[in-house]
Amino acid sequence: MEYVNPEGLRLDGRRFNEMRQIVAEVGVVSRADGSAVFEMGNTKVIAAVYGPREIQNKSQQKNGHALVMCEYSMAHFSTGDRRRQKNDRRSTELSLVIRQTMEACILTEVLPHSQIDIFLQVLQADGGTRSACINAATLALADAGIPMRDLAVSCSAGYLNSTPLLDLNYVEDSAGGADVTVGILPKLDKVTLLQMDAKLPMETFETVFALASEGCKAIAERVREVLQENTKQLEYRRAA
Amino acid sequence: MVACSVGEQHFLKGGIAQELRTDGRKRLTYRHTYVETGVIPQANGSARVRIGGTDVIASVKAEIGRPSSLQPDKGKVAVFIDCSPTAEPTFGGRGGEELSSELALALQRCLLGGKSGAGAGINLSSLLIKEGRVCWDLYIDGLVISSDGNLLDALSAAIKAALTNTALPKVQVSAEVADDEQPEIDISDEEYQQFDTSSVPIIVTLTKVGEHYIVDATEEEESQMSLAVSISVNRAGHICGLTKRGGSGLDQSVILDMISVAKHVSETLMNKLDSKISAAEACEDES
Amino acid sequence: MMMRKIQLPFTQTQKVRYERAIERLQSLSSTVNSDASVIVTDTIPVNHEDAFLKGHGTSEVDGELLATVCGVVERVDKLVYVRTLRARYKPEVGDIVVGRVIEVAQKRWRVELNFTQDGVLMLSSMNMPDGSQRRRTSVDELNMRNIFVEHDVVCAEVRSIQHDGSLQLHARSQKYGKLEKGQLLKVDPYLVKRSKHHFHYIESLGIDLIIGCNGFIWVGEHVEVRDPVMMIDGQKDDEMISSSSSTKEQSHTPLETRQNICRIGNAIRVLSNLGFTVTVQVITETVNLSNSKNVDIHEMLCSEFHVLVAENEAERRREKRKK
Repeated sequence: MEYVNPEGLRLDGRRFNEMRQIVAEVGVVSRADGSAVFEMGNTKVIAAVYGPREIQNKSQQKNGHALVMCEYSMAHFSTGDRRRQKNDRRSTELSLVIRQTMEACILTEVLPHSQIDIFLQVLQADGGTRSACINAATLALADAGIPMRDLAVSCSAGYLNSTPLLDLNYVEDSAGGADVTVGILPKLDKVTLLQMDAKLPMETFETVFALASEGCKAIAERVREVLQENTKQLEYRRAA
Repeated sequence: MVACSVGEQHFLKGGIAQELRTDGRKRLTYRHTYVETGVIPQANGSARVRIGGTDVIASVKAEIGRPSSLQPDKGKVAVFIDCSPTAEPTFGGRGGEELSSELALALQRCLLGGKSGAGAGINLSSLLIKEGRVCWDLYIDGLVISSDGNLLDALSAAIKAALTNTALPKVQVSAEVADDEQPEIDISDEEYQQFDTSSVPIIVTLTKVGEHYIVDATEEEESQMSLAVSISVNRAGHICGLTKRGGSGLDQSVILDMISVAKHVSETLMNKLDSKISAAEACEDES
Repeated sequence: MMMRKIQLPFTQTQKVRYERAIERLQSLSSTVNSDASVIVTDTIPVNHEDAFLKGHGTSEVDGELLATVCGVVERVDKLVYVRTLRARYKPEVGDIVVGRVIEVAQKRWRVELNFTQDGVLMLSSMNMPDGSQRRRTSVDELNMRNIFVEHDVVCAEVRSIQHDGSLQLHARSQKYGKLEKGQLLKVDPYLVKRSKHHFHYIESLGIDLIIGCNGFIWVGEHVEVRDPVMMIDGQKDDEMISSSSSTKEQSHTPLETRQNICRIGNAIRVLSNLGFTVTVQVITETVNLSNSKNVDIHEMLCSEFHVLVAENEAERRREKRKK
């Protein structure tokens, strides 16, 4: 099947280095301390952060550090064919991966004896769900006023029809080519998440990895814009 | 979940007795309701309903299936509800399962009629494509994003809106084939037919707090309830289903009274909801 | 119920009016503040030659001072810190807070305060019901439930902040203690300004309004503060218990007071939705606005009233600026 036509256009009309449209909004769940919705094309994820609050289960307490918990769930209607299982292996793996990524960003030593809960709810899945989750979680944590050392962002890229492609959607992802998900901390310029499936020759991997990192930088810009706008808005509404 | 001190309980019950609830509502007033349709483009139909702080999404997905042998002239509908942990941290892990099952069963009871399939709020015969062979399987999924009481009413409103938003593609079935073979089906990409929802009921929940009953209880008010009766009513004023929750007992006369109150409330609610749904659909068409 | 972002649907005209009001607020806000707003990982401009102290929300990385939260940079003498907007309560000693008891433990109550940990109210930090000053005995410990039980709403003062970050409260004056006959509202702590007066008795409406620094606001029927000196030894416990049980049989709050309580409650909800600072003046102004425009109590929560309040607030700040 042709994923990139001779003119260089993909199935949805994008070029190889074009990301899907991003919609990011902060403050969507009223009860949560911080929340955000992040859309990359048709992939739509809501993140809600509860905390820092009193530790619910004293046995899980970590000495001198905040406890970070993360749960990833997909709505029944999120994928084309309806999912039945709630706690399947993929959800468990993603919960763990996202928790580790966010835990690396949060300054847990500033909030001892407390617990931070991150809940991710996927409303629509169309490829790149783990990236959308990390981006949504970052926005939600910033919205909740939790101190972080950097704003983690993530993007994916793949390789089909001999072309590296940025931000794969579900159809492109299931095509059988490689899918590289990269998460970076832009200010510290460090890679915090790196996952890949299928196989790639080393040079191709480097190109795809570089493309995904470029995508991450663009997302980082967007995330910063949203937070800056939101902070300014809150401040001038509040008044003297 | 929601904690209420003795003093606050007293204040709450006093308010309900005096027809002035904590947010200024009368006993039979609903909170401000907002309806949006088409929020899940991948589904055949979807809607998001917000009643006060309660926020739910319902989606309808249609798949081609085979009618059951017991009811060869009807399609199939299944209702699933999920309580997202974003609404309440206690819904995380398996915490929300009990509530989800309870809501799903109550909705099924109110929308789908008896075991024989008769008396269903949703017209199952309209889902039939070819008797005994091909029918539509509708999967209705509800997701609770934010919870502030009255989940059942919000979900039923969202399901009604989602069904109104549902467009089923026209299906051409090939000519007669042998009994044990599946006929060929051609699903049109162009032609759609809107689902007829004029007879789909909505649920009105009456919550008894103290001596009086209220409509559209917030979570705080629900925590003080002695019992709640959810009645599903359709446009013609027929009762399509009934669920009672809570341990207290009820007098027969009280039940009949509650049913008539629910019917009365449902008329205004149905009209308001229908107009909001059409407004939402019009809005969606524009965008 | 903390309401966040405006999720009300506006009609076209309402939207225009609302946006115009918000723009006016923007132009009226001090430019110093908006320039000083930062988000996570923004560099905070400091003069490295001057000695400065790193406060909350900052961290030094590679010789640069970075913000770790989103907020506004504040400089007080040599202290440089980032004031967060949306965040949990940041306590200071002497703050008046309103909280809910979640646990009755040994010699103490645990109180939920919208803080990173629960606050602790020691039995010894609480006045005895008979008003006497004495050491707490084991009988007192067993009778803790006579004072506060789970879910009670209490008003207290922050006594100290422990080294592990937990909060110690005390409620030694008669104006603190259990709050009944009213409703508890929650707003974001950044909308509450610290001032000298957090207890407000609005005489014209017969209502007590307690604005806790932690964002919990109590609106209730006015309760006369009992003077402990007037109570005589021996009879006290019986009196306390009999008076508390009689309140249950007491008549409900009079309708007019209740209407006022609901109006104030809704005014606070609207202000919290719009993100405006919650002070007694603004609350009473909002209630007066609703009365003057004949807005039904429940209608205060709909889009039209939100737009009215936004416009009114823009007007109020403009007037204030002129002075």
